Amino acid sequence: MSILRANCPSCAAPIKFMSGSTVVLVCPFCRSAIARTDRALEDLGKVAEIAQSSSPLKLGLRGSFKGNAFELTGRAQLQHQLGGFWDEWYATFSNGWVSWLAEAQGRFYVTFYQPLSADVILPAFEQLQVGQTVDAIPANSPLIVTEKGTATAVAAEGEIPYRLTPYEQSNYADLSGQNNAFATIDYGMSPPWVFAGQQATLADIGLADARLAERAARRVATGAMSCPNCGGPLALAAPDKSERVTCLNCSSLLDVNQGNLKYLHAVNPPASAPDFVLPIGAKGIFTDGRMFKIIGAVMRSVTIEGEKFYWHEYLLYEPSIGFRWLVHSDNHWNFVEPVNVAEIQASANMLGARSASYGGRTFRIFQDADAVVEYVQGEFYWRVEQGETVRAADYVSPPLMLSQEVTANEINWSLGTYMTNAEIEKAFGVPDLPKPWSVAPNQPFTGRFYYTWGALPLLLLIVVAVFMIPVSGLTSTVLSQQITLPAMANANAPQTIFSQPFDVRPNRNIRITASAPVNNSFADLDVDLINDQSQEVESVNVPIEYYQGVDSGESWSEGGQSQDATLSSLPGGKYTLRVEGTWQEWQQPIAVNVKVEQNVMRGVNFLCAFAVLLIVPVLGLFRKFSFESSRWKDSMFSTSSSGDSDDSGSDSDD
Amino acid sequence: MFKIIYMIFGIVVLVAYASSAWFGWEIANSGSRSRLGVPFIYTGFRGGK
Repeated sequence: MSILRANCPSCAAPIKFMSGSTVVLVCPFCRSAIARTDRALEDLGKVAEIAQSSSPLKLGLRGSFKGNAFELTGRAQLQHQLGGFWDEWYATFSNGWVSWLAEAQGRFYVTFYQPLSADVILPAFEQLQVGQTVDAIPANSPLIVTEKGTATAVAAEGEIPYRLTPYEQSNYADLSGQNNAFATIDYGMSPPWVFAGQQATLADIGLADARLAERAARRVATGAMSCPNCGGPLALAAPDKSERVTCLNCSSLLDVNQGNLKYLHAVNPPASAPDFVLPIGAKGIFTDGRMFKIIGAVMRSVTIEGEKFYWHEYLLYEPSIGFRWLVHSDNHWNFVEPVNVAEIQASANMLGARSASYGGRTFRIFQDADAVVEYVQGEFYWRVEQGETVRAADYVSPPLMLSQEVTANEINWSLGTYMTNAEIEKAFGVPDLPKPWSVAPNQPFTGRFYYTWGALPLLLLIVVAVFMIPVSGLTSTVLSQQITLPAMANANAPQTIFSQPFDVRPNRNIRITASAPVNNSFADLDVDLINDQSQEVESVNVPIEYYQGVDSGESWSEGGQSQDATLSSLPGGKYTLRVEGTWQEWQQPIAVNVKVEQNVMRGVNFLCAFAVLLIVPVLGLFRKFSFESSRWKDSMFSTSSSGDSDDSGSDSDD
Repeated sequence: MFKIIYMIFGIVVLVAYASSAWFGWEIANSGSRSRLGVPFIYTGFRGGK
């Protein structure tokens, strides 16, 4: 290691350049940025003192990345053009490498300088569009521009591996790729420099243990302040990350600049005052036991066909995770997490895309409009303003919703997961939240069971019916006989005649068919099955009537010369048929053919069972259709709805 | 809860159908012009005329 010992050209204090890769050293005594040049040391000017944050990192911390040990030797604090700050740490590896470790909103990005061949031309900063893919940078997957902006180096400490000039501004673009790939184009150099690497956790860089110790120590420090307008107390949950806070006492909007509060203006309440159902400061336990605190609330709106639609968004914060959102719209709830832009299907990053793919799911566009901030309350990690407008597009695949928010300089995607009122009530321990009155864009249809598994009995019925055909056997005729009823004494004196005995088997249904040569007349037969042993009788009525003729040149007929009746099974044994009849032409005898069959194949039982079991699946499908219609009627893209969105959400309700 | 009740109901209908097929029970006297009312399950003779 080449150590250069010298005196600070500004204050003459002894300074040491520990690493050969160090270009600038911040004098720990006078905070001058001292550059090492070929000839001498050069004083580049003083930098501000580093604003302390809850970062788990600190100078001198040792870690390892992909098996290579490093030490954090420098740190710069950069300011976003919108006011936010982020830290860049410089890691000097034992093998001489230097990497940049950027830290923003609780996330870490490890990047290394990526030299490009001379023939590679990067797009100019002015021409670069968010959402654009930059193919000039070699990577395993396309890198997409997620943000472009201007950074100002405001503070630094330790050793910096490039010429950091205090308060010098430089343009940059951040890009993301799949599998946490990350890159930055630094337009402060000419030609621009590219730094490529990945998003990483503290565990990935061997600093997980340090983090816990740091956080425990910092937990005692709170952001207790007072409002510069009314003097009321303010307790910031994330003082090092917050950019804006409103005073709950006087509704002032305050700027948070490195822990200092500045009055901006009063927040103007909209015509319809927002009624946030969850208070700032409320804590909720979500899945995996993660506890988030509500630190801010926003009322936003979109205007569609001249009508404004409002919803509320709660900003959640958990120091070890960062920020999340809880969206409350029409009394529906969504837990919203950020999504890596590069994980979204590339074409969806173009404005106006009709679908987006993420995580193997396809999301259909539901809404695409300008979303406006109407009212704010609490603490925010960006410089929120009333009237702030972004283009917002929502894509749905129940129970998930992908949301794209685009400004000129930034594109963000987030993934919302639908939560029921009961889940929110349980998470925050609040009772009786207002009930939703409509179907949410990504609300899962919970009645899927009734036309999926609910159709199982129907399927089983068909299987059983097919199975019963060979089991029950085929139809057999147990009696077939022609009997002649003698002429009646008068029209009201029926004649009776008995058949020959026949055997009836148990557990077989019975069909009695009677035929008579009636023509434009009737024969009314009462047929009794008499058990020869017990003399018990089962009766059925078999009316036969047949009429036919010619009317206006067209022949017609009605009824038939044969009728039948079917009975349930009877106890097995020997039976005799008693046929008692009256007929229209009673003066003449009538010949009647009677036939008794068993094990007759009938569809009535099957059809009745089928109809009964069909009711619930059909109602389920109808409900699904109605549900999807309600969902898409509020969409700007309802014409593309077909009601076939398949939700894999839990079927949890009844 | 309703799902469980529905599945039990479905099983009952299935068992009833299978039983009717096995034991020869008929829902109704199905002659096209015959009267209804013959019992689904035979419970004994109802007497003659």
